[in-house]
Amino acid sequence: MTERESAGTTGAPVVLEMRGITKTFGPVKANDDISITLRRGEILGLLGENGAGKSTLMKILYGLYKPDAGSIFIDGEEVEIHDPKDAVERGIGMVHQHFTLIPPLTVAENIALGAEPRKGVTLDLEGATKATEELSERYGLRVDPRARVADLSVGVQQRVEILKTLYREARILILDEPTAVLTPQETEDLFSTLKDLVADGLSIILITHKLGELLGVSDRITIIRDGHVVDTVQTAETNERELARLMVGREVLLRVEKEDAEVGEPRLVAEGLVVLSSTGAVAVDGVTLSVRAGEILGVAGVDGNGQTELADALAGVRHAESGHVNLDGEDVTNLGADDLQERGLAYVPEDRGSKGLVLDFALYENNTLKSYDEPPFSRYGWIFPKVWRRRAGENLRAYDVRPPNPDARAGSLSGGNQQKAILARELSGEPGVIIASQPTRGVDVGAIEFIHGQLLKQRAEGKAILLISLELEEVRSLSDRIVVLYAGRIVGEVGPDATDEELGLLMAGRGAEEKSA
Amino acid sequence: MSEDRREPEQSPRGSTLRRLLSDAASALVFPLIAILISFVIGAVIMLATGHNPLAAYVALVQGAFGSPTALGRTLLGATPLIFTGLAVAVAFRAGLFNIGGEGQFYIGAITAAGLGVALGSLGPLGTLLVLLGCLLTGFLWGAIPGFLKAYFGAHEVITTIMLNFVAILLATYLALNPLRSEGLVPGTETIDPAARIPFIGLGLGRANYGFFLALLAAVVFYLLLWRTRRGFQIRAVGLSPGAASYAGMGIGVNTVLALAIGGAFAALGGGVEVLGVYGKMSIPFVEELGFTGIGVALLGRNHPIGVVLGALLFGGLTSGAQEMQFATDVPLQLASVLAAIILLLVTATKLVELIVGKRARELASGTHLERETGL
Repeated sequence: MTERESAGTTGAPVVLEMRGITKTFGPVKANDDISITLRRGEILGLLGENGAGKSTLMKILYGLYKPDAGSIFIDGEEVEIHDPKDAVERGIGMVHQHFTLIPPLTVAENIALGAEPRKGVTLDLEGATKATEELSERYGLRVDPRARVADLSVGVQQRVEILKTLYREARILILDEPTAVLTPQETEDLFSTLKDLVADGLSIILITHKLGELLGVSDRITIIRDGHVVDTVQTAETNERELARLMVGREVLLRVEKEDAEVGEPRLVAEGLVVLSSTGAVAVDGVTLSVRAGEILGVAGVDGNGQTELADALAGVRHAESGHVNLDGEDVTNLGADDLQERGLAYVPEDRGSKGLVLDFALYENNTLKSYDEPPFSRYGWIFPKVWRRRAGENLRAYDVRPPNPDARAGSLSGGNQQKAILARELSGEPGVIIASQPTRGVDVGAIEFIHGQLLKQRAEGKAILLISLELEEVRSLSDRIVVLYAGRIVGEVGPDATDEELGLLMAGRGAEEKSA
Repeated sequence: MSEDRREPEQSPRGSTLRRLLSDAASALVFPLIAILISFVIGAVIMLATGHNPLAAYVALVQGAFGSPTALGRTLLGATPLIFTGLAVAVAFRAGLFNIGGEGQFYIGAITAAGLGVALGSLGPLGTLLVLLGCLLTGFLWGAIPGFLKAYFGAHEVITTIMLNFVAILLATYLALNPLRSEGLVPGTETIDPAARIPFIGLGLGRANYGFFLALLAAVVFYLLLWRTRRGFQIRAVGLSPGAASYAGMGIGVNTVLALAIGGAFAALGGGVEVLGVYGKMSIPFVEELGFTGIGVALLGRNHPIGVVLGALLFGGLTSGAQEMQFATDVPLQLASVLAAIILLLVTATKLVELIVGKRARELASGTHLERETGL
């Protein structure tokens, strides 16, 4: 292990400079004259909302996009990066948000893939295993080179991704939203690894939209908004409030103001619910929960622990193998989405692009996607687009969808406005029960505020709300009670004032299984 | 994370008619560019082979639209293509490839030939019953690949192609065995003229009221897809099966229906061809009309107006080519070459982008009709 250095890297040589990078997509300037510098042994945070241009910039650096203007310097030498192969050769490694591992192969095989050591004409798998072991030792990235990737937890898979870049001798490491899939403990592990890496002379760019994380780990933070660099600040000299203001361009309410609400009868109840995933595995394994009128029940958990299947089954989109779902006291198990919708259940699915909206439909068609078969939108099998348009116009304005044009194609809207369009459809029907699955994923801060406000308004009106989210902060600030889902089971219930540690242990299945990999 | 903060689209608010027309117009730009380019390429070919392209094109257009006889020929050729084009388009709208138009056309033809002889004495009522019969057999025949797709996962491209052979051989068998006439020409007996679809007259030759039935079918297509619940479901399923099923729409039932309705359109075309043109099903029967329907639907962007215009173009090319060969010695096959180039350009959008530039392509294909084809 190398000696730990302090974060004082101001005098260190610049390893990477991007100067005046401009990239346009049609009428949109995704990057407009962006310049950043990265010094040796430093962690640079790249902060910005979704769509601010962070990913575009990094894709340019990694050779996935060609910039319209601007230049890139590595170690002071101007370079042209045509494709990821170029980038790798110049010592740039990227850990994508979605992993690029091949699950049935072993860790060593995955790491060596594409850069395999050879013995004559045959593959030197032993060599790959040894090299992996050495790297893993050197950087404290604990992982068994012979384990199958499919058997590893997400946090460990991420370690493999990092090892993969190190194996290719990366000196500049880019991590794109690395904590989105991690528990708080795994996040801490990751950050301590990153600190070890920079102490060893690597330089890291960390892309994120989570303010708090950057404060703990980065040396400097560059903030990007609407394709421009707004500012670059020393982490030690800033705080969450200032970062939020820089990122959004105005003062932001970081905390949600929540009033006490009158809690009533249970409206949505699940008993011993068992649901299979699309691959046939048991995804929800006997979940029992109850959401009462006037409360928000939060479901926390690491992605892929049955959240999708649970929400789908409750909303009637997915078949429940066994167990019961009750809506306002009536058994509605496996009744189907259409029926449940008519009984006053609103569902905001996690994936707005492929489940919430038909992107190629106009907004007015999307607004009536569920009520298209009810009067006054339809009678005797005929539909009345004029009525649809009028109602859509009203809803879009009420929910601040921009543009409020019923004829605009849903896919042409920003993520936040798409989500608001879904809320407009789901909430305008005066539902009694609302299931909101990751309602603010990939949405800008302004839209997050609006969506949170709407959910709290529904709560105040006595609706029962089930909120499923991967963002702990969101679950904590909105929920009245929180249940934690792990491996398809509810492993605990806590109040909204639970600490990161409490929640983190529950999210890792009480911490028992976490270390085994 | 995506960077898709595109400019919001502003489409004019207005009457339904205006919207329909503007939709159709913007959908037409792209095919028109393709047609223009193909004619330029055709001219180059003619110059290279020592012909005068200007004279040839004048003859082509005259042969297609220049006289009542020519126009009649064009309408006659366009009629079955409208039906088979709609058959492909309705499946496309549901996100499905219907390659079975040829077989469905044959199913309709043999139904009409068989029923027509049986019900010929009923006159116009018989015509109506025969056409209803075609709709029914086409619907059922089209439903087969739908069921196989929806409930057994069999890809509709494979099954519709395979069912073409079954349909063609089945129709041929029926025409040559149980339904065979005593006449010299192999095929079914001739239907009583009273039960056949009458000619339009006006010097239009053999063009018959079947053309207006085809136009009516296009109107029905429009109403079905844009004015009924079922059509809304079919379009939603075609554009986003995920969102459709989350909205509580059944994917399976809409898959079956879209292919079945497509079968009904194509079979109606076969029936109209028998009742309007031949009065019987002789073997060999007309070929390739079902396959040409795929091109018509592609060219027409799966919109009924586009399909009608596409069918008229293909019908016109065929009928004009004869005049062209007669007047200028340019071989008949040049029309097929033109049609092929048009289709190539319509499907290979990137190729047009190379030729006319990206902006023009975006302009041409940036309509929501274009996106709705899901191609």
